[in-house]
Amino acid sequence: MINIKELEKRWYKYKAKSLTQFLSILAMVILLPYFLYYIYSNRDILMGTPQKEIIQPVAPKIEKKVEKKDLNSTTVETTSKVIIKEKPAKTEELLLSPTIPILDIEEERSEPTKKVHKKATHHTSKKLIPAKQSGALTAKELAVIAGKDLSHEHKKINFTRSSANYKEVMEEKFRVNKHPREALLLAKAYYKEGDYKQAEEWALKANQLDGSLDESWLLFAKSKVKLGKKQEALKILVAYYKKSRSSKAKGLIEKIKEGSV
Amino acid sequence: MKSKYSEIKNIFIDSVDSQSYVELDSMRYNYQLLLESLDKPLKMILLFGRPGTGKSMTLNKLYESLKHKREIHYFDAPILSEKEFLKSIYEAMSGQSIPQNMRVNFDGLLKYCQRMKGKREVVFLLDECQLYSEALMEKIRLLSDTRVVKFVITLHKTENEDVIAKEHFKTRIWEVIELSNATEEDLELYIQKKLIQKGFVEVANSISKRDIKFIHTHTQGNFRETNKFLYTIFNIYEYYDKHQPQKIDPHRFSKKILEMAAIKLGYIND
Repeated sequence: MINIKELEKRWYKYKAKSLTQFLSILAMVILLPYFLYYIYSNRDILMGTPQKEIIQPVAPKIEKKVEKKDLNSTTVETTSKVIIKEKPAKTEELLLSPTIPILDIEEERSEPTKKVHKKATHHTSKKLIPAKQSGALTAKELAVIAGKDLSHEHKKINFTRSSANYKEVMEEKFRVNKHPREALLLAKAYYKEGDYKQAEEWALKANQLDGSLDESWLLFAKSKVKLGKKQEALKILVAYYKKSRSSKAKGLIEKIKEGSV
Repeated sequence: MKSKYSEIKNIFIDSVDSQSYVELDSMRYNYQLLLESLDKPLKMILLFGRPGTGKSMTLNKLYESLKHKREIHYFDAPILSEKEFLKSIYEAMSGQSIPQNMRVNFDGLLKYCQRMKGKREVVFLLDECQLYSEALMEKIRLLSDTRVVKFVITLHKTENEDVIAKEHFKTRIWEVIELSNATEEDLELYIQKKLIQKGFVEVANSISKRDIKFIHTHTQGNFRETNKFLYTIFNIYEYYDKHQPQKIDPHRFSKKILEMAAIKLGYIND
């Protein structure tokens, strides 16, 4: 004889279990389009931006400013203004590089920086430059190698940003060291020249190497705007802003929305 | 007060009674094949399939159909003792009873069969042959070689079925008939016919295709399992009919009862 009461209890338990399963599946079905939409929208952003998820420490940012006080005097006083953000150990190598121009002084000045002032006195007499870590030669070193008087050569050092071969030199340098900084500087140079396609590409390269570079994201977005991809630029910036909470990114978003970029 | 469901549930008590045989398309085909095989000069015919596919029922139906037409004997339960088996064969063939203290000599039985060659053909239907010993199967083989005795045997389809076939019947069985589980359509027909045969047309009509699908899913179309399932279903119906009749609708098959029966039999887990 079947114990119906007991069987009924088991049946209610079974129904409750079935209902739970049904509701779970229903919830999944309802949430699936939202999930897919989320994936799709993220994918859209990722296609135009670097894949890096982890924001790495900010790469060292150093700029050199040489002020020539008296080019005619026998003694040349050179004041080096070194702006160091991180990793001072690398300062010397970057400082000695003769190919780094000052690209955007105004922009750099607005950032809080740690300034180190160095004052060095050079004599007109020829001197051997002590060996150092970097393979790059300074203008001073080049003068010694060429056998020229340093005091005269100082006049000829060209630090202008519009150097014709500047981009070639930078690209070569980037090819060798694959540093995001070179890519960023190239992107800036191209942007200033109005070659937004190239600017976009180089900003992307900088991004791919270091996804935490604020400037590369902004430059990438600005290039996109200039290329007429306003919506895409906004998507990218919004995604970056969500991740970084960068005030600059926020400012640029507003600017793009206003159409003032 | 006796419930109608008491009678309905009894329809599904598993039996090999030829009266409860339900003719389905697939069964009709196999049965016809079996009849034709008996007329061929075959020594042995193997009827095999998984338990509950209707082997015993087919064998019983065959016996009931032919018992008045030809010499046919049906051993529905396996006779495991060799002495008893030979005695049963001899008694069936000679029509004489052997005293309890006497035994049939196998060589003598073979000679007896050989003497009747061309004069008689006796058919033996042996059910559940997987239970017979190898020695006894060898004797069955030797008896079938006389061509006086023809065996129709049933075997459960098991993992060892190939071994059995190779060892005993490889060179002798000329006809192998495999019975399989019913399809959803066959199962529907089977249930409907069973109910209608006994006059429960209303109940038969209340079972929907969805109910049949549910039954088929859990029984895999196995007739024995289906009978067990339906017996349990109508057993529950019987209880409600007697104690809580308001809980059942005579015009609609209850899904709740169907599921309760499935839980009871362990087809679904609560």
